[in-house]
Amino acid sequence: MTKIGTSIPRPDAHDKVTGAALYPADLIREGMLHAKAVFAHRPSARILRIDASTALAMPGVRAVLTAADVPYNRFGLIETDQPLLCEDRVRFSGDRVALVVAQTPEAAAAGASAVKVEYEDLPVLTDPRDALEPDVPRVHEDRSNVLLHQKIRKGDVDAAFASADVVIEGEFSTGWQEHAYLQPDAGIAYWDEQERLVLETAGQWLHEDRRQIAAMFEMPEERVVIRYAKIGGAFGGREDLSLPPLVALAAWKLKVPVAMQWSREESIVGHHKRHPFFITSKWAAKRDGTILAAQTRLVADGGAYASTSAEVLKCATIFATGPYEIANVATDGIVCYTNNVPSGAFRGFGAPQAHFAAESMVTRLAHALGLDPVDVRRKNLYREGSIESTGLPLPAGVGAREVFERCLEEAREVLPVPLHNGAVSPLRRGIGIACGIKNVGYSFGFPEQATATVELEVTPVSIRSANVRIGTADVGQGAHLVLRQIAAEALDLDLERVRMITDDSSEAPNAGSASASRMTLMGGRAVKDACDQARRQWLAGEEPSATVQYRPPRTTPLDLETGEGTPNYCYGYVAQAAEVEVDVRTGLVRVVRVVSVHDVGRAINRRQVEGQIEGCLAQAIGFALTENFICRDGKVLTPYLSTYLLPTALDMPEIHPVIVEGADPNGPYGARGMAEMALVPFAGAVAAAVHDATGAWVSDLPMTPERVLHAIKESTKNRLVTPAMSS
Amino acid sequence: MDSAIPELATAGTLPSAAPAAASILGPGEVQIELEVNGERHELSVEPRVTLLDALRERLKLTGTKKGCDQGTCGACTVLVNDRAIDSCLTLAVMHVGDRITTIEGLASGEQLHPMQAAFVEHDGFQCGYCTPGQVLSAVALVREGRMTGDDAIREQMSGNICRCGAYENILAAVRDGARRMA
Ligand code: FES
Ligand code: FES
Repeated sequence: MTKIGTSIPRPDAHDKVTGAALYPADLIREGMLHAKAVFAHRPSARILRIDASTALAMPGVRAVLTAADVPYNRFGLIETDQPLLCEDRVRFSGDRVALVVAQTPEAAAAGASAVKVEYEDLPVLTDPRDALEPDVPRVHEDRSNVLLHQKIRKGDVDAAFASADVVIEGEFSTGWQEHAYLQPDAGIAYWDEQERLVLETAGQWLHEDRRQIAAMFEMPEERVVIRYAKIGGAFGGREDLSLPPLVALAAWKLKVPVAMQWSREESIVGHHKRHPFFITSKWAAKRDGTILAAQTRLVADGGAYASTSAEVLKCATIFATGPYEIANVATDGIVCYTNNVPSGAFRGFGAPQAHFAAESMVTRLAHALGLDPVDVRRKNLYREGSIESTGLPLPAGVGAREVFERCLEEAREVLPVPLHNGAVSPLRRGIGIACGIKNVGYSFGFPEQATATVELEVTPVSIRSANVRIGTADVGQGAHLVLRQIAAEALDLDLERVRMITDDSSEAPNAGSASASRMTLMGGRAVKDACDQARRQWLAGEEPSATVQYRPPRTTPLDLETGEGTPNYCYGYVAQAAEVEVDVRTGLVRVVRVVSVHDVGRAINRRQVEGQIEGCLAQAIGFALTENFICRDGKVLTPYLSTYLLPTALDMPEIHPVIVEGADPNGPYGARGMAEMALVPFAGAVAAAVHDATGAWVSDLPMTPERVLHAIKESTKNRLVTPAMSS
Repeated sequence: MDSAIPELATAGTLPSAAPAAASILGPGEVQIELEVNGERHELSVEPRVTLLDALRERLKLTGTKKGCDQGTCGACTVLVNDRAIDSCLTLAVMHVGDRITTIEGLASGEQLHPMQAAFVEHDGFQCGYCTPGQVLSAVALVREGRMTGDDAIREQMSGNICRCGAYENILAAVRDGARRMA
């Protein structure tokens, strides 16, 4: 085995350092028209009239398109509840009501500001907890504001609370998070000589983009071609369609090439975010540290459209108990429509929010029992064969304990013995630990497959080269290289002799999305199986060309009332230790060192795996500390990178990534996914570290200086009050 | 209707030679000559056009990236007379007579600049969108002798956001690139 496990450099490295790599906005050519969306900039309104006459009379303006121009004006990844252009109703400030197409970007922008829209403002619903009340306005007239209420019921929590030695309660909240992929949304669209509508853009799933866009224009899927340019980051933010169908509409309608790009502000206002959650928890344990019961209510803000809310919510619901086997569980996960910006996929997909509460509760429980949080975790962590809260055993390959023990070992090496902070220094250090679990691949019965085609060029005695066709998005994570390494290994070829065909929906089969940490496992397995089959064909003297669809073990939907089912076919496991420094005068938290231990099954490209751990931690720091997305009364108040603070080189701690390789039974060469895992436990580890440093628990994310200072003040006030023990 | 996002055209941070300093330019297009990557280009731009847009849209040098158009991400970094600036925060007309270097002008033919080679070697990127800006900031950092250690690199590269979070490898690349440039 030489092609995998090594840190082969990226094939596109040269293009990336010379500026030759072409991202969507770099594809814009002379003579293309330019499209500009007219945003509603109000969270809830009825559209009374759209008057495009002034705009149409302006120099360079070629067309103003509205809802009436879209044959099937509905789209969405799970549910089709979002209009491409609003008909009569606006549901969030980033809704689009018209599209201006003009000869230059300036003319399009001028045209867009000249489109007159008359609105009647309607009541605004901005808190998902209010959305549950009976007499609040409905975001979608034809349905309840509750998008989904998923319950899990296992054992008897009330009996457990009554018999427990200690019961604690907690309340938590987490904020929106903006993907802020550095390349703002852009694309070009045109009709080709074969009368196909071609869209060149960035996304995360070629064939799903094609399916949704073909449906909008009522075209057969084969007549729509999606091609991905170089993609400047995604992180879940390109899972939902935002800009691409708009530029496609203009080209489809006007039959000329059209370009479109969003400013940073348009991108931030115009696409979905990570879900904010409000979480209330009540956990109970025995004196020896056995966790007896966990009762959790999670209320998530789904925003104006469904996006992937239902799936995110279900993931958060199953992870409300973290990676712990608990006999009595009652979880209520609720996601509601509001007039806020829609929430959807973001690296971690519900797991980071649920773990923040769960991991904080475990540590607090240990403190209430007078036990070491390490020992309480050891006692309750999942092991091979553990029963999930959904009632059935975990899929094989449970690395929870192994990553935890490795994390403790590593932390003992690299983190200082808990410092006893001198009472005089305003800079207090502390250490926290946390564990995590996250699904790899689609869950809850969502159709899961990946297809790859492998064509070999052969002689009677050797395989000379291979074409690998697999429609996958390389969003920067390096998926194309990993798949190529797997093919090279399976066929025993040099990497240069494997040609990857990946970015065109008409040239490569559907391998599903680059999301859910799934592409190495799913795409990799499809490639490996197709390589193996093509090789067998060659050995048998047949035409060596194989198309293989890989399907993993089946998952099932969860019972809505009890949560029973088989949620997932694979999990990744992670454990972290974080050292922080808190300035108790300002409340500013700096992460000093992080140990992050991951069971990746098998590291196909070690350097890329480490890169994913480090990059994911950068976003985890944003989630935990700096990224404070503010949406007030339905209006986004942080639409710029000057007010929404992304972590920079200065915010990065010393990182110790540790890779554990406990083979996955289905993954190619044992590999499982890992790219989201570092985000899962991190905020919990930081909260515990801040508590270690200051004695204060911060329960709201992000932990801004104001919140940290406030928590410190409160904790000093309460210092003399003993924690409430149960009866 | 406030859908059009107003363009932010703030003056650059560098004193630069503006053409015909006493006369008022615009609002129509004016003829200027820009020296980019050692080549002179005649172009006619409105005075409000940023250097970034002039490079990308007029000269078709798309290696310089737009991440925010407001001076907050560093993706548009170019060298002007060897100093790194955000090309979105300065106007094209302010750079007549300046020596402008973009990412396309860094390598000598097929030979990568030592800093580019170091980024390749250390995998100093993931998606690569921030990379042209990172590389040019790093080159300026070394040329100006501001490379006094890891803390200095972090501090002075902190204007270049990498959302993929490849900071660890970028740091390694800058360190190594500086050695190679010496
Ligand atoms: S585009 Fe100039 S700093 Fe972001
Ligand atoms: S590599 Fe993606 S933003 Fe830096």
